[in-house]
Amino acid sequence: MPRTSVAARRRPAFLLAAATALLAAGAVGCGQSGGSSAPEPSASASGDADAGVLGIRDPWVKAADEGMTAAFGTLVNDGDADVTITAAATDVSPMELHEMTMKDGTTVMQPKQGGILVRAHSSTVLQPGGDHLMLMDLTRPVKAGDELTVTLTFADGRTQTFRAVAKPFTGAQESYAPGHGDTPGMSATPGTSASPAA
Amino acid sequence: MSTRIRRLASSALVAALAAMTVLLAPASPAAAHNTLRAATPAPEARLSAPPAHIILEFAQRLDPAFTTIVLSDASKRKVRTSEPTVTGATGTVTVDEPLAAGSYTVAYRIVSADGHPVQGSYSFTVDEPAAGAAPAASGVAAPDAPASGVATSGGAAPDAPASPAASSSRSEGRGPWPLAVGGLVVLAAAAGVLLSRRRRRGTTA
Amino acid sequence: MSDSPTARRVSRRGLLTGGALAAGGALAGGVAVADPPWVRTASPVPVAEVGTAVEPFHGPRQAGVATEPQAHAAFVAFTLRPGTDRAALGRMLRLLSDDAARLTQGRPALADTEPELGLLPARLTVTFGFGPGFYTAAGLHAQRPPSVVDLPAFRIDRLQRRWSGGDLLLQICADDPLTVAHTQRVLVKDSRPFATVAWVQQGFRRAAGAEPGRTQRNLFGQIDGTANPRPGAALDAAVWVPDGPVWLRDGTTLVVRRISMNLETWDLLGRTDRELAVGRRLDTGAPLTGEDEHDEPDFAATGPDGLAVMPDFSHVTRSHVSDDRLKILRRPYNYDGAPNPDGHADSGLIFASYQADITRQFLPIQQRLAERDLLNEWTTPIGSAVFAIPPGCAEGGWIGQQLLD
Repeated sequence: MPRTSVAARRRPAFLLAAATALLAAGAVGCGQSGGSSAPEPSASASGDADAGVLGIRDPWVKAADEGMTAAFGTLVNDGDADVTITAAATDVSPMELHEMTMKDGTTVMQPKQGGILVRAHSSTVLQPGGDHLMLMDLTRPVKAGDELTVTLTFADGRTQTFRAVAKPFTGAQESYAPGHGDTPGMSATPGTSASPAA
Repeated sequence: MSTRIRRLASSALVAALAAMTVLLAPASPAAAHNTLRAATPAPEARLSAPPAHIILEFAQRLDPAFTTIVLSDASKRKVRTSEPTVTGATGTVTVDEPLAAGSYTVAYRIVSADGHPVQGSYSFTVDEPAAGAAPAASGVAAPDAPASGVATSGGAAPDAPASPAASSSRSEGRGPWPLAVGGLVVLAAAAGVLLSRRRRRGTTA
Repeated sequence: MSDSPTARRVSRRGLLTGGALAAGGALAGGVAVADPPWVRTASPVPVAEVGTAVEPFHGPRQAGVATEPQAHAAFVAFTLRPGTDRAALGRMLRLLSDDAARLTQGRPALADTEPELGLLPARLTVTFGFGPGFYTAAGLHAQRPPSVVDLPAFRIDRLQRRWSGGDLLLQICADDPLTVAHTQRVLVKDSRPFATVAWVQQGFRRAAGAEPGRTQRNLFGQIDGTANPRPGAALDAAVWVPDGPVWLRDGTTLVVRRISMNLETWDLLGRTDRELAVGRRLDTGAPLTGEDEHDEPDFAATGPDGLAVMPDFSHVTRSHVSDDRLKILRRPYNYDGAPNPDGHADSGLIFASYQADITRQFLPIQQRLAERDLLNEWTTPIGSAVFAIPPGCAEGGWIGQQLLD
């Protein structure tokens, strides 16, 4: 085996950064298209659902057989105006916009008043333990590896759709439990029918 | 020659260091190693007629898959022989070409039951046929009676044939001895003998 | 992606900002991307070259085969759960491919619970293998490469179920053991809905950079792997399937054998006899007829007594192959378990052999070794598994897509 050449290892960093960027933009390697809605500076020009009001990075949803689950990702606003998400929807469950907050010394989850704000030239991370898009009551299982289509509605009436891959995830369960009763556990076995999600 | 000294030394070692030996490595695996007991033609034999077979008798059973017997002439040319036939502890090859007068080397490479390779060699000489001497009058043993023609075999201890043993590889398995020798002068001398018997590294090309 | 010097480095920016997020910022032309909590841009830590080196994930052939072997490896074999069918396999492989694509490039996996551990790839590769049962589960019997079946029994075998078989294999290799451990954790977690863990074999070589350009040594002290086909045309001819349907082309096969090495009886063997058993010098790795490691052994050479210098029972003699197309690519790792209370070692080799066709290349060599390799005296195969290594995937694709989609 040849050793990696020094020259190759010393490739300029900016090329690498560019390569990394391309990788990230290109559908995150998994057939999902969430990363393909690359931010466009003039996104506000259209009400088209797929125009890309926001850049949505690394979207994913926690796989679950029934009950509640949640979707996450990073929302990137490269525009000059703040953007507020006021609603989210899928065909497998009613959805709410949630935040985690301290109440009486414990972290609880509650609907986020006024929606989720993504400021101009900034971004907001939706993650376990923080703001997230809650799926309140699944009508069918969301299996690991499924893709779920989620539609965001913004304060100005525009919408945007993205696809989130379902990950097996058991982490940060304590974030969901308070105030909402049982936390849906992840499916321990694969479904016998791989119904395509979304 | 060295055999006797070695045995004395070994006895002394065992006697002097019996308790210590128990604590050392397992019993010397040299005991488990196969050795050449007898050979036809015998080492250093002078034959008036060429042999039809090379017959090597070892102390322990041979594994046919790991038994090599090679015959070569004074110019290191390999003499054509059959593949070894193994019966118990005896390996035999048939000499498949006529041997001119001269010196020949028999070399063997076998594997002991514990997997340790053992190799060695010895020489014999085929004399110019004496005028009027019939081949049948030669002292070479018949293939079916190997022991009868081996000068060194009768009643000898396993490592008695001096010539084969001298060049055979018995270098392994002496682990405990050098350790045990310590500062005992007589034993150090014995160890020197042992070391002097270390096999020639024929593979070091 | 195989034999060319392809390793890159994780960029400082990518490293510090979590890769994907940095990318978002770059594309957006300077948008200030909020960093996730694991990122601490204010405290840049010097990062050594070993940690940031990157091997490509995407490409026509999978990485981790022709890739210069990394220092650490975990071979993780899975048994598919009942009901994991073709569609479920597709969902699993999408997830696992995405995990591998990210982690190999120094980016945390999606939903990574320890994202800091995903930032140093250290030449991480994840190589996917499909065992015979994979094709059964997928209902794709006809697509299984014919040589990917359990090996015939060899008389030297003492196989244990705990090290044998498997429907799916993930070979995880990196120059950093923490990277291997985290990657294994991520991939096992994402596999749990679909499969159970059949066995894991973790192994190692010398640390990255400790002995540059050297063939690895095993725990017998032998240089191990000298006879590999040279990178380039010879390696390609031996390893990669050159044609055929799209799910075979640019693939290969892998045999994983767990070889227990008896260091106790090996200890009883002197150096010269060890070299006779191997057919190589222990110090240089040179054949007994040569001076340098890569000298061709001369099987006709004889010593002064007429014996072949290379014993016919030596490992090198028995395993020697001249035709590049019939060679195998050895990519082994050492294992070293805890000694038992008596101090007896639990050591050996995770023998990983890549070849285009197991029947044509691996089996004849293995047969000759089983018959008469003197090393068998000190080695015992205790595990055996075979896998097809499917082709690689392009960006946006996933491993196995050619077969399952």
